[in-house]
Amino acid sequence: MGKMYEVSNKYNNYKEYEREFTEVGRSIPRLDGPAKVTGKVQYTDDLVLPRMAYGKILRSPHAHANIKSIDYNEALKLDGVLAVITGEDCPIPYGIVPHNANEHALAVGKVRNWGEGVAAVAALDEATAEKALELIKVEYEVLEAIVDPRESVKRDDLRIHENHPNNIAYEGTQVYGDPEKALAESDYIIEKEFYSSYVNHGFIETQSAISDFDPNTGKLHMYATCQVPHYTHQQLAKVLEMPMNKIRITVPLIGGGFGGKGVASQADFCSALLSRKIGKPVKITYERSEVFATNNGRHPCYMKFKMGFDKDGKITAVDFNNLMDGGAYSGWGIVVLFYTASMVHIPYMVPNVKFDGKRVFTNKPTCGAHRGLGGVQPRFAMEQMLDEAAEHFGMSPYAIRKLNAVESGYTAKSMMYVPHSEYKKCLDEAVEKSGFLEKQGKLPYGKGIGISGGYYISGTSYTLYLSYKPHTVATIKIDEENGVTLFCGATDIGQGVDTVMAQMAAETLGVKTEDVKVIPRDTEISTFDLGTFASRLTFATGWAIRQAAEKINAELFPVAASILKCRGDEIAVKDGYFYSIYEREGKKGRNREVLWTDVVTMYIESNGPLTCSGQFTPPRRKGIQQGGNIGHSPTFGFSAQVAEVDIDLETGKVNVVKITEAGDCGQPINPMSVEGQVHGSIQMGLGQALYEEMQIAPDGRFLNPSLHDYKMPTIRDMPKIDANIVEAYDPSAPYGGKESGEGPIQPTAPAIFNAVYDAIGVRFTEMPLTPEKVLNAIKAQKAK
Amino acid sequence: MKKQIIKLDINNQIYEVMVSPTDLLVDVIRKQIGLTGTKKGCGQGDCGACTVLIDGKAQLSCLMLAIASEGKKITTIEGIANQETGELHPLQQSFLDHGAVQCGFCSPGMILSSKALIDENPQPTEEEIKHALEGNLCRCTGYVLILEAVESYVEALSKGEV
Amino acid sequence: MNILHEFEYFKPKSKKEALELVKSKGSSAKVLAGGTDLIIQMKEKMIKTDAIIDISDLEELKGIKCEEGKGAEILACTKLVDIEFNADLKKKYPALTYAVSQLGSNQVRVMATMGGNCCHSSPAAETPAPLSALGAKVVLASLEGERELAIEDFIHGNRKNALKEGEILYKFILPEPVKKSACRYGHIGLRNAMEIDCANMAVNVELEEDKATIKNVKLVMGSVSIKPLVSEAVPKVLVGKKLTDELIATTGEAAQSEAKPISDVRASAEYRKDVIGALARRLVKEAYEAAKEA
Repeated sequence: MGKMYEVSNKYNNYKEYEREFTEVGRSIPRLDGPAKVTGKVQYTDDLVLPRMAYGKILRSPHAHANIKSIDYNEALKLDGVLAVITGEDCPIPYGIVPHNANEHALAVGKVRNWGEGVAAVAALDEATAEKALELIKVEYEVLEAIVDPRESVKRDDLRIHENHPNNIAYEGTQVYGDPEKALAESDYIIEKEFYSSYVNHGFIETQSAISDFDPNTGKLHMYATCQVPHYTHQQLAKVLEMPMNKIRITVPLIGGGFGGKGVASQADFCSALLSRKIGKPVKITYERSEVFATNNGRHPCYMKFKMGFDKDGKITAVDFNNLMDGGAYSGWGIVVLFYTASMVHIPYMVPNVKFDGKRVFTNKPTCGAHRGLGGVQPRFAMEQMLDEAAEHFGMSPYAIRKLNAVESGYTAKSMMYVPHSEYKKCLDEAVEKSGFLEKQGKLPYGKGIGISGGYYISGTSYTLYLSYKPHTVATIKIDEENGVTLFCGATDIGQGVDTVMAQMAAETLGVKTEDVKVIPRDTEISTFDLGTFASRLTFATGWAIRQAAEKINAELFPVAASILKCRGDEIAVKDGYFYSIYEREGKKGRNREVLWTDVVTMYIESNGPLTCSGQFTPPRRKGIQQGGNIGHSPTFGFSAQVAEVDIDLETGKVNVVKITEAGDCGQPINPMSVEGQVHGSIQMGLGQALYEEMQIAPDGRFLNPSLHDYKMPTIRDMPKIDANIVEAYDPSAPYGGKESGEGPIQPTAPAIFNAVYDAIGVRFTEMPLTPEKVLNAIKAQKAK
Repeated sequence: MKKQIIKLDINNQIYEVMVSPTDLLVDVIRKQIGLTGTKKGCGQGDCGACTVLIDGKAQLSCLMLAIASEGKKITTIEGIANQETGELHPLQQSFLDHGAVQCGFCSPGMILSSKALIDENPQPTEEEIKHALEGNLCRCTGYVLILEAVESYVEALSKGEV
Repeated sequence: MNILHEFEYFKPKSKKEALELVKSKGSSAKVLAGGTDLIIQMKEKMIKTDAIIDISDLEELKGIKCEEGKGAEILACTKLVDIEFNADLKKKYPALTYAVSQLGSNQVRVMATMGGNCCHSSPAAETPAPLSALGAKVVLASLEGERELAIEDFIHGNRKNALKEGEILYKFILPEPVKKSACRYGHIGLRNAMEIDCANMAVNVELEEDKATIKNVKLVMGSVSIKPLVSEAVPKVLVGKKLTDELIATTGEAAQSEAKPISDVRASAEYRKDVIGALARRLVKEAYEAAKEA
C-alpha cells in the first residue's frame, strides 16, 4: 500500500482496523431528507438573488451551418433587455479534458449540432428574455449534416472540425499479449457486431446557473448544478480569463446528475459572461429541450468483436473494434473511448486483448459521461457472446461465467489490479435467488431468463490534466460550538454522499452520524475534491475522512487517556464516549469512560482549536499502453443480474417481469442507499435496453427532445426487483466499501437480451429492443 | 396584456398576487409566492415534478394558468406537514424511512400524487398506486422504494397507526 | 419555450355567456377545457391566440347521466377522472372507461376533458375510437341552437373537426348498448403508461339470439389514419358467422388491409399495421366472449 493509505495515528497503528462498525453499515435515512420531502431544499433554480436578471440562450435550428451574421439590434431595443452576447464574447474554447478543448459557450462561426447556442440574452424577466430571442436575426449558411459515424469517418470532404481529418476525434490501439495468435489457436471463435444506442441521462432537474459578478472586486460567485465544481472552476477561469481565486462556485443540492452534470454547461458560461457584462446576477435555467440539445449522454458504439475460447470454455482472446459516435464536440470523449477499451479486461480473465477504437464527430448533440460510462457498451456485447459460447460448449451461462470470473488479487493484462472481488459470490447468489438453473432453457416459448455480470471502477487513478495533487482532501473541524464539521468538495448529486461521508467520519470519531455537519460543496469553503464521477467518492473521501478523523483522534486520545488514567494506545471511542479498551463495562457501568464532548472541551481549553485534514491519492501502476491508464482504479465493485421476461408474441412487446441482482460493493456504508443505487441503475439500464433513444433525422434535426417522446420508464414499467448485497469486505477500502452506483447498470441490458434469447431463440444485437424489432424477428422465424 | 390582482388560496393562506393571464401557476407559486418546493422538470406535463393539489386532486401546475386557479384550494408540498408543530406528514416520514428519496427533485410531486390518491382511496391496491403515480417520473429510485413507502403508509393507516 | 404569447382571458359564468364569447371572439379565440393539450401547443408556439375562453369550471357543462335503459349523456367538460371512476359508466361502457383510464397520467385525467380530447382531434387520441364503436353522437351548441353529429362526422382529423365559428362541443350521447353486445378497447404503446398510442382500437360486437352468430360488429381504429377509421371490411368478414380461430385471423388481416398508418418517432407504419392485426384479433375475441355473457 502506498503512502496515501497510511494513517498517521501513532497510537493505534498496531491494531487491525476494527470492523465492528456502529455508524458504517447503518441504513440511515439521508440527512437532507426532511428538507427534501418538505420542499425546503434549495436547488439552483430555487435561488433568487437581489437585483437578479434572467438569461436565455438562442439555439440553432440547424445541425451544421456557418453563421454568416447575427443581428441583435432589435433585441437590444426591447424594454427590459440588458445585454446580448454571441460567440464573439467567448472566443476561448473549453473542454473537460483540457488538451481537447473545442467547445464554446456560444458557437463561434459555425454550429455543429441542432440546438447549439448562438446567442444569449439577459433581461429583467424571463418573458422579456424569451421575446428578445425572437428578435435576434441569425443568417446561416446551411451545410450538409452527417449523423452516422460510419459515414462521417469516410467524409474527409466534409469536416465538422477543420483540424480533424475524416472527422476522427481520437483513435487508439492497444495490444496485450498476442491476440492474433491466441485467436488462431482458439477452439471456438465468435465474431459479432453490436450497436449500443444514443441515450440521455434524464435527470429531472434541468441545468441551471446563477452568476453574480461584482465589478468592484472583480469576483465572480456562481451557483450551479454541477457535479464537478473543480473542473468547471478551471474552465470558467480559462474562458473568462480570470484567475481561479477570483471565482467561487457554490453547488446547491442537485436534482440528479448521472454524469450529465459532469461538464460545465453553457448556462454556466453564458450566465457568467452576461453577469460580468451587466454587473448584476444572471440566472439561466435550461428547458427540457436544452437538456437534450446539450446532451453529454452515452456514446452510441458500433462494436465489432471477436472472442476466442479454448476447448473448456475459457476465454483466450478478445479483439474489440469500436467506432464511437461522439457527436459534435470532444467533451469526455477520449476518456470514454479508452474506458470502453479497459472494460474488456474485467470481470473475466482475458489473457490476450486487442483494442482498436475511434471516436468520430457527427452533427449531433455531444456525447459524454453517463452512468457506467464506457462499460455499458462492451458489456452489452460480451455478455451476450458469453451466452453464445456457453451454448456452443453445452455449458450453463452461469458456469461459463464462473469459469472465467476474476478473483481478489487478479492483475489484468492491462495492469489493472483487482485487490478484492466477490464476483463469483454475486453469480452464485443471483443464480440461487432467481432459480436461474431451474428455469433457463426450460420455460415455454415467449418466456425467458437471462444472466449477466458486470463491474465498475471505484474511482480513477488519474486526473484529467497533469497533476500530482491529492484527489480529495477532507477537513474536520472540532469545536465546542458546532461539534463535528466536515468540509469536503465532494458533490452530492442525489446519490447521498453527504450522508455517507457523515457516517464514515462519525465511525472513526466515535460520534453519531446525525451529529456530523457536512458543509455543502463550495470551491471557496470546502477542501479540494475532483468531483463526482467514476464512482470515486465513497472510496476516495473515505480514505481522506478516515485520515483526518484519525489525526483528530490522535490529538484527543492522550487527553482522554490522562482523564481515564490509562495509556493512550488503550483508548477507543464510540457512541460519544472515550473509554479504555480493556476496562469498559456494560453500558450502565461507565466507570472508565469519558464524554467525547468533555474531552473536546479540555483539549480546546488547553491546546486551542482542533482542525485536521486528510487526503487521498489513488495509486498508479506501471507498464501501461496508450490510454491504458484510463480504467485503472484503486478497487472495483461487481454485480450479477438475472432478468426474467415475458414477451407478447403478437406485438413483440418485452415485459421484464423480474430482475434479481446480487452485488459486491464491499462493506455497504449505507445499505439503504446502496439498494437505491441498484434500483436506479436497473431502471436506467432497462430504459436503454427497451425504450430510450434520442432520434435524429438525416438532416440532424432532433425528433424527440421531450419527455413524452424520449421514453424513460415510469412506475408501471418497472419489474419486481430483488436486490441483494453479498457479504463482502474490501480490506483495501477505508471502511471496506466500494462503488455501488455504476456497476449495477452494467448487467441490466445484456441480462434482458439474454432472457429474450432464452424466450424466443433470437439473438438481438442492437439497442433499444423495440417491440417492432422483436415482432419482425418472430415473423421471420414463423416464415422459416 | 393587462395584469390583474388575483387571490390564490395556497396551503390555507390567501395570497394576493398580480398576474398576467399568461402566467402559469407553477411560476407564480415558485417566483411570486416563493414556495419553491413545487418543481419544474419539463414544462409539458410529462414529468409530474410540478404536481400540486387543487381541491384535493393532483394536477400539473405547469399546464395551469394561475388566473384560472383563483377560488380553488391549492396545496403544495409545503402545506402537508403539520402547520403548527412542523411534524412531517406520515407519508413524508414514510418516504424518508424507506429510502424513497434520493435527489429529491421528484419527491414533492410523488408525495402529493400519493396523498391525493390515499385521501380519496385509503386502501389502494398496488395497481391503484401505480396508476396514480404513473405521471410522476423519477430517475433515481427505480420507484421500488417509493412504492414501498406508499404501501407502508397505507398499511399503517389501515392499522390506525398514523 | 415556456412563455405563452399574450392573450386576453375570459372566464364565462354560464353556458350562454360562453356561447356569446365564442361567437363574438370567433377564430381569434381558443376554448380552454382542461388545457393539457392547448397550453402545451401554446408553449411550443404551435398555437397563437388572442383570447382564451376558459370553460373548465363551468358546472353547466359538466356531468354524467347514465340510467338503466337510457344510454348515457356525458357533458363535454366532464373531467376524465370523473368518467374513469363513474361506476355506472364502467358497468355499461367498460371500453370507454378503460380507454379513458389509459389516457395520459392521473394528473392529466384530473385536468383534461373528453370534449377536449375529441376537439383536439389528434389522430392518436384515445377516446374517439371507443366513442365511435359505441355509436356515440356529439351535440354541438351555439347561440343559434344545437346540432347532433356522429362522432365520426365530427372529427375530420389532424386537429380539424366540424366545429363552426360560434360553436362549442356540448355533450356526448351514448346509445344504450343493445342486448348481447359488448365493446372492448385496446391500445399499443412502447411503455405501459404515459404513452401516445402507436395504435388503438375499439370493437363492438352484437350477437344473435343464439349467442353465437355475429349480428353486427363495429371496429374502429385510432392512430392509423388522420381520423378514427371505421372498418368496412371486418363486418363483411364476421357478420352472420360464428367466431372461429380462422375467422379471427381473417379479421386481423381485414383490419390491417384498411389501416393507413404513417411512420413517425413512435413507430413505423409497418409495425402499426402489425399491431392493428393483433389488436383486432384480441379485441374481437374478447368482445365476442363478453357479448355472450351480456
